[in-house]
Amino acid sequence: MKTVVIQGLSQAYSNLVHMFAEFLPRLLVMLVIVAVGLVVAYALKTILRAVLHVTRLDRLSEEAGASRFLRMAALPSMTELLSRSLFWVTWSGFILIGISVLGVAGLQEQISRLFLLLPAIFVAILILFLGLVTANFLSRAALLAAVNAGYPSPKLLSWSIRFVIWALAISMALEQVGVARQTVIAAFSIVFGAFMFGLAIAFGLGGKDLARDFLERSLGEKKREKYEEPQPL
Amino acid sequence: MAEESFLADDFLRQLMSVGEVDLLVGIPSYNNASTIGQTLQTVEESLRQNFVRERVVILNMDGGSGDETRQLFERRSERREPSHKGLTTLRTIHRISCEYDRSPSQGLALRDIVAAADLLRARACAVISPATTNLTPSWVANLLRPVYRESLDFVAPLYERSRFQGLLARDLLYPMSRAIFGNRIRELYSDEWGFSGRLASQCLEQDVWQEEAIRARPEAWMAIKAIGAGLKCGQYYLGPKTASAAASGPDIVEAIRQTVGNFFWCMETNQSTWNGRSNSQPVVTIGPDHELSSDGVPPSQEKTFDLFRSGVNELEPILASILAKDTHAQIKAIALTDRAKFHFAGELWVKTLYEFAASYHHAVLNRDHLVQALVPLYRGRLYSFLQEHANSSPDEMEGQSEMLCQEFERQKPYLLERWTAKRE
Repeated sequence: MKTVVIQGLSQAYSNLVHMFAEFLPRLLVMLVIVAVGLVVAYALKTILRAVLHVTRLDRLSEEAGASRFLRMAALPSMTELLSRSLFWVTWSGFILIGISVLGVAGLQEQISRLFLLLPAIFVAILILFLGLVTANFLSRAALLAAVNAGYPSPKLLSWSIRFVIWALAISMALEQVGVARQTVIAAFSIVFGAFMFGLAIAFGLGGKDLARDFLERSLGEKKREKYEEPQPL
Repeated sequence: MAEESFLADDFLRQLMSVGEVDLLVGIPSYNNASTIGQTLQTVEESLRQNFVRERVVILNMDGGSGDETRQLFERRSERREPSHKGLTTLRTIHRISCEYDRSPSQGLALRDIVAAADLLRARACAVISPATTNLTPSWVANLLRPVYRESLDFVAPLYERSRFQGLLARDLLYPMSRAIFGNRIRELYSDEWGFSGRLASQCLEQDVWQEEAIRARPEAWMAIKAIGAGLKCGQYYLGPKTASAAASGPDIVEAIRQTVGNFFWCMETNQSTWNGRSNSQPVVTIGPDHELSSDGVPPSQEKTFDLFRSGVNELEPILASILAKDTHAQIKAIALTDRAKFHFAGELWVKTLYEFAASYHHAVLNRDHLVQALVPLYRGRLYSFLQEHANSSPDEMEGQSEMLCQEFERQKPYLLERWTAKRE
């Protein structure tokens, strides 16, 4: 009995030693990969930051209004954000490769799935960013045009444009990463449809006089009461 | 030659057949069929009366008119009328018409005019607008003569204005350009002006013709180039100006986008020309340097005030990103005052404009949006001006205008401070 116990223990010990002997080099390889990844990611971040400084991306981002949003969200400048993103994406890639080297059962499949998702996540982030910039630019353009032309409720118009573009960008981004694709499409259709329906009702009920006025002017039956300002030049 | 790359082959061929000239008159047109004939006739008459011995070419640069403007110009050119009133020129007056683009652009028209002037070695050039309905032969001569005979390089027109006309020029463009660039040219933005062949060649070398600011309004840039190069600038009093109903000029929003946008762009691209200047100098002026007629009643401006007030309210976040905190607070405070007591002081107006210019430089937001955000504030200033001067005499108004110019000059160090400050 005693011999059996000792044999079992020594077997377990030798297995453990064997496992450690197998695992330690892998761990070492993983650490090397992670360290190399850190260096590569840092180098890429520095290069990208320099390139973006040369291309004056921050100024473009200021002009497009994206920087204001970043500041509001307590995020760094566009150049910093993109270079840091590249750093983390690159390093995360190396970390995942390192983990896969460990050969832990079950992890391999999850990691390869994550790897497959990475490009889609990147594209989704890009879509969201473009949506943010476009929404901000167009809503501000609409706000300024409406204010300067003296239209009623310019902020409503501006926010409507912002909302539509955001809704479109978010649903496109979610569809890109494949999150509940059917639900996203249905939700977008419902939200967008409801919004348009609401607008139609609002215009129909609230703006029937305006519509009549517009039609009368279009058909030449009524002259617009033109607001005359003195010739500026 | 650089200009050969953008001039149409046919236009180039026509220019080459003309040879060298002394004078060049450019007429940019777009749907001016109703007035182009009269304009051409007046220009020819002027040349016959005043430049008998000079070699002359008249260029019509068309922006894709759909109303036969070019055809009318060409038909008129083919008609060789007997000289008027016994006057005759000793040289042939050449007339060339060309379509520079399918859409109108003063900048592209001017680019072709200066290219032609450079190619033909013209000594003096004038740009004449076919939209001006009271153009007289003396106008053309008065723009060409100071360049041709008195060696000026840029001649701006001076028009007689009614008290409530051209307020953007009087309350913003003239005082600001005078303080910034140090030259007292009153009409930097006009449809007629004269320039030398030397200035044309210098302008042609600049790679700016596709810039949005230049495509719409190139004339002030040309004057600023002349100032920067140390060339002689002047202005000539031409009298009152009337434009055809079809070309009554842009509305306030468009006028501000074109002129103020262009002016800020000129500041941005010519920093070395202006940041060392402290005072303004008078320029050679032929005739009175200003003329305000006492006619004209102040237009009803109730809606102007409403648009100012709603603009300050609706654009609050945008204005906050452009203006300094205290300036923004002062504007918000006056927007809340009673309409009858409303006053937009000159000092605040100058500070506001300088902060807009500095924010344009720092590109705190899209530059066209930034310029558009100025419109409600200009309306506030306009309302205040009209209220204040409803019963003022032209002399009183001119006195106020001079005080505003001095305020712009006094606050210029503030502009430089904001301009060079690092953004928070």
